[in-house]
Amino acid sequence: MNATAIYGWLAHGVVLGALVSLLPLGGARRYLAWAALPLALVSEGAVLLHGFAGTPSVTLLALAGWQLLGRALSPLGRRPAWIIIGFAVLFYPLALGLGPFDPYAIGYQPWPLLAAGLLLGMLLWRQRRDDWLFILGAGLAAYAGGLFVNLWDALVDPLLVLAAVAVVVRQRILGRSAGSNNTAG
Amino acid sequence: MKPARWLAPSCFLLALAAAAWRAPLPAVPEFVPPPAARPDRNPAAFAAELLPTAAPSAHAAALAELADGRIAAAWFAGTREGAADVAVWFATRSTGVWSAPQAIATRESTAAATRAYVRKVGNPVLYAEGGRLHLWFVSVAMGGWAGSSLNHAVSNDGGATWSPPAKLQTSPFLNISTLGRAPPVALADGGLGLPVYHEFVAKHGEWLRLGADGRIVDKVRMAHEVRTLQPAVAAFDERHALAILRDAGPGPGRIRVATSVDGGQHWPAAAALPLPNPNSSVTLLRLQSGRLLIAGNGAGNRNQLLLWVSDDTGKTWRLARTVESDADELVEFSYPALLQARDGRIHLAYTWRRQGIKHAEFSEAWLAGEAP
Repeated sequence: MNATAIYGWLAHGVVLGALVSLLPLGGARRYLAWAALPLALVSEGAVLLHGFAGTPSVTLLALAGWQLLGRALSPLGRRPAWIIIGFAVLFYPLALGLGPFDPYAIGYQPWPLLAAGLLLGMLLWRQRRDDWLFILGAGLAAYAGGLFVNLWDALVDPLLVLAAVAVVVRQRILGRSAGSNNTAG
Repeated sequence: MKPARWLAPSCFLLALAAAAWRAPLPAVPEFVPPPAARPDRNPAAFAAELLPTAAPSAHAAALAELADGRIAAAWFAGTREGAADVAVWFATRSTGVWSAPQAIATRESTAAATRAYVRKVGNPVLYAEGGRLHLWFVSVAMGGWAGSSLNHAVSNDGGATWSPPAKLQTSPFLNISTLGRAPPVALADGGLGLPVYHEFVAKHGEWLRLGADGRIVDKVRMAHEVRTLQPAVAAFDERHALAILRDAGPGPGRIRVATSVDGGQHWPAAAALPLPNPNSSVTLLRLQSGRLLIAGNGAGNRNQLLLWVSDDTGKTWRLARTVESDADELVEFSYPALLQARDGRIHLAYTWRRQGIKHAEFSEAWLAGEAP
């Protein structure tokens, strides 16, 4: 068993714990979420998710950990969620073969991505988004440590896109609900 | 300004620098050129036998010659294709006798090594590199073969024991839809070029460049105007190579072609060969004589297994031999694998009626039409 396999398995345990923490379980929610983590590892739930979803990105792991720790404000707000969705709409169809260009291949010799990462880092620093600087830095460190051979895999994955969609949908629903309440009031 | 203001950007820059330090900067790729062509002196000969049965249904054989001269074969077999009991089986042939098959990869062993659920395994690829024997095979967690991931294991004792398989990271979408079928080509930097294919959403060949340490350092798409699968590659010199592919288009199919003139950096499509392909696996071998040999099915279905030869690096082809033929179109002789051993003898392994794997051994003189 190599380090990437162990990482993927453990990370999916955290993701499953974070999912439980989103359920409407009342006051016991946080305890049940933490209990779900070892349960996912022991019960093969993490193995199943690892099989279906592949190795999770460090970005997803960080956001799942954030959720599990019960931090009030997730870095995955509406704006980052839309950026992730917009990226995914372009990236995945091209990477899966719609057209001759394969953007995923760039991640194996990721010099252009690293150059873009430097610019993105400067932008995040100017905007004082330390949370995203830490998250992206962790992804880069995981790539540097050999957990990933393709830099894209350290930064994004389909479950992250799903989480971004969930954030956008949830905010839309909450927005409508608040709007209708205002109208009623 | 507070020191804390610099903590996040400092960590980010440190990680960015570490990533840059690790990012590969491989040399311009070159194939290991094949040895100079020399005529084969073996007399005309042909012999065939079924490999020992491992399970009722068998498919997709691969071949390699071990350092000690034994011929190794791997294939997948179980109660039926895709069944939970399907395993990758391995046997070796010494002094004309095949060893009893041993299971070298099962869904359970693969799941345990990768800590990921596996529903089925399939498509092995073998490659001997000195004393190291590589095995690539696919595993699927959900859906059909389009949901395959590629796994890699190594044996340093001729296939007696294997390292735990590791799943290769080849796709951004759930790491699915990379399959192998044909052996790799050696690269001048000590790495390998592994022909693979993708079949989720689109179907096309791909070229995985592996570094000398086995790490993937590049992936190149073999784009065609029709759907293609299962590339098999032969290199002619440091820069030039030919890939033939299965035609997965609407048909009538022909063997599709991609060529590289830059050591595998690009694989543009070339004109299809005037050879039929009924959406079935084909394989390609450059013989020691410099001729090219293709094994594949005839125009009808998979009920004919044919051998074609080219004397001019693939410009023209002629039918050399019919290895199998049955009037019943439902009978299957398919998924050929070719190998030329160091003694010049040519080995062919293929799926025989889905009931087993057949191995044939012959010489170039037999291919040229001489009677054994």
